[in-house]
Amino acid sequence: MPTTTTRRRLLAGSAAALALPAFARAQGAVKPRLTVISQWSAGSDGAAITALGKKFEEKGGVWQHSPVPGFTTEMMNKLRAQIIAGDPPACSQLKGPEIAAWSKIAPTVNLDAVVAAAAYEKVVAPDLARLHKPGGKWIALPLQIYSTNMLFLSKRAMDKAKADKIPVTWADFNELAEKMKAGGIIYPIANGGTRPDDGQKFEASLAGISPTSYRAAIMNLDKKALEGPEIKAAFAQVRKIADWMDPNIGAQPYATNLKRFVDGDMGMMIMGGWAQGVLRNAGFKFDDFIIAPGPSDNTKPVFLLNADAFIFWQRKEPDLQAGQTLMAQLVMDPAIQTMYSQITGSIPVRTDVDLSGEGWSDGQRRTAAALKDAIANNQAVLSLAHNMAQENGLTAAMIDVITEYVKNKTITPEQAVTRLAEAVEGAR
Amino acid sequence: MTDVVSTATRPGRPTISGVARRLPEYLLIWVPLLLSAAHLISFSLWTIWISFTPSTLVPVSGWVGLRNYTAVLATRNWQIAFNNLLLFGSAFVLLSLITGLILAILLDQRIRGENVLRSIFLYPLAVSFVVTGTVWSWLLNPGIGIEKLVHDLGWTSFHFDWLVNRDMAIWTIVIAVIWQSSGFAMALFLAGLRSVDADLIKAAQIDGAGPIRMYRRVILPTLWPITIAVVVIQLQFAISTFDLVRALTNGGPGIATQLPALVVYDLMFQRGLLGRGAAAAVLMLLILLAVLLPYAAWRYFQRRRAPHA
Repeated sequence: MPTTTTRRRLLAGSAAALALPAFARAQGAVKPRLTVISQWSAGSDGAAITALGKKFEEKGGVWQHSPVPGFTTEMMNKLRAQIIAGDPPACSQLKGPEIAAWSKIAPTVNLDAVVAAAAYEKVVAPDLARLHKPGGKWIALPLQIYSTNMLFLSKRAMDKAKADKIPVTWADFNELAEKMKAGGIIYPIANGGTRPDDGQKFEASLAGISPTSYRAAIMNLDKKALEGPEIKAAFAQVRKIADWMDPNIGAQPYATNLKRFVDGDMGMMIMGGWAQGVLRNAGFKFDDFIIAPGPSDNTKPVFLLNADAFIFWQRKEPDLQAGQTLMAQLVMDPAIQTMYSQITGSIPVRTDVDLSGEGWSDGQRRTAAALKDAIANNQAVLSLAHNMAQENGLTAAMIDVITEYVKNKTITPEQAVTRLAEAVEGAR
Repeated sequence: MTDVVSTATRPGRPTISGVARRLPEYLLIWVPLLLSAAHLISFSLWTIWISFTPSTLVPVSGWVGLRNYTAVLATRNWQIAFNNLLLFGSAFVLLSLITGLILAILLDQRIRGENVLRSIFLYPLAVSFVVTGTVWSWLLNPGIGIEKLVHDLGWTSFHFDWLVNRDMAIWTIVIAVIWQSSGFAMALFLAGLRSVDADLIKAAQIDGAGPIRMYRRVILPTLWPITIAVVVIQLQFAISTFDLVRALTNGGPGIATQLPALVVYDLMFQRGLLGRGAAAAVLMLLILLAVLLPYAAWRYFQRRRAPHA
């Protein structure tokens, strides 16, 4: 794919550079074209971006998507190579603080005019908007939102435990887990063994115990908050969760356990909203599970924000520039956001999309409501485990401590607090 | 290769026509040699340079002194990786040496089906490390692998959870790597055993040496050069081990099975810290030199002694 793009670009750049402007003037406008790289290649993610490409083509554009399957960082390696070679894609997937970091190494497109024309800013959560306009200018656009701390309950496991109340606080959660264990469910928590999985258990615990402390310690790296009692309490909660997990999972992803979860051999799962898409894709029904906001000790929902986004890289070619404008308009369009989120199981970035209609699940409706509540109560915070709160280097240093703590039960919560603070200090 | 070299060594000054005639030989040897040397040296120098710069997402110039080194050396990841390397490296080399030698000696007994057995033991070498790692990650997983098999056979108290036990997980990598590489040691040792002078063996037999004594006193001492070669080759494999661990444990549980190569990859490509990743890579190069320099020195002294022998 890259070779053909380059060759085509070379041809277009040399021969057609002279001919095209005249041709374009004769046509009235250039045909919008967009080169995109993302990690979305398969499953619901792949289906969603393919559908977006179809819409782009319907509007008369040429859609050139090169997926780089695997982790986000692998997509980043391709992006880095293209930037160093002076040939960035017109548009690429990138999210969180990485948008600010990467915008320093290559020029980006100022999207202020097109964002203002769509009156988009007032329908986006403020914390989220800030991430996409480093230096005060919009250079990237969020595409969809997930909460990383949704609580998935297995209906069959709830039946086994003779429980029907959805836990609200961590105390409720712990009580339900004990009840499930007493009801014969050996592993009340369905877990994965990957780094983000472990990170999610910690961020859900801390944000559920105190969103204020989460904001200070994890998002602002306040030294005092990092050594505060809430962090210790969060580590203690993580240990409880770890004791209820199947230790044999090794380094496998959470999806390995979905069948045992639905069958009621495992009871609860703390996972991002994307698990709904994965569950549905695997053929399970909405009746098999319940989705609720993650535990919050002050009973008001806490929303750990994870948002996928596109960043736009500066290009000289008029057709790519036209493509960038068209893409920006599409990404902000409520109809497109609806289509995208309905495929992936996320919720739209726009807070003004109505989710009461067909095609939305109860879980998505609850997630959207939780986001609204959380924003109103200042309890919408940025996810650490999914690289929204800090740049990759700092995130990885913190997750090192967390993942080791989850797997090594001889580390005490006190030690974990010290190590986390040290890791932050070392990575800064 | 040796043919080319031997025909090239002719006495007398090289004439123009001689050079022209031998031009293909020169090209064949020197061009690839210079290219790969330039490649190796320039990229090593470049990495060393990057390790002293504040590079993060992309290489930048600048000078931060040893800051990247001190930062890498202070992380738990690197400390665990280094300790693991010591343990894993010595276990890997020693065990594959012993297993390979035993296999070679057993195969050397002029048994029937030797070719088939030799192929079987060599076969793992043809499998890529990623495949080895993935297959062993299934076999060793207590939930689906060997432990479950033995439980299903009725021995329910059987316990084998090394893969998910952070103290023992490093040994699962040793198991996989021994499976993969002892065939290589075996092949080299077998060649060595076969090249032992038959007269020596006959002389020992006439002197009444039994098989054990024969191996211990006559045959094994002649295998020293091969042993050293196997150790050096396996050690540099051990130091650069990456794909096997990535497929088998991915550095886990937690960060219990980190190895230096994983740390380098992680810093450079996962965390976007090119400077620190380069520093870790240079540290790996130093470890490699610590192994290779003594070997080179040993070779040098061997060669100096050889003409007198």
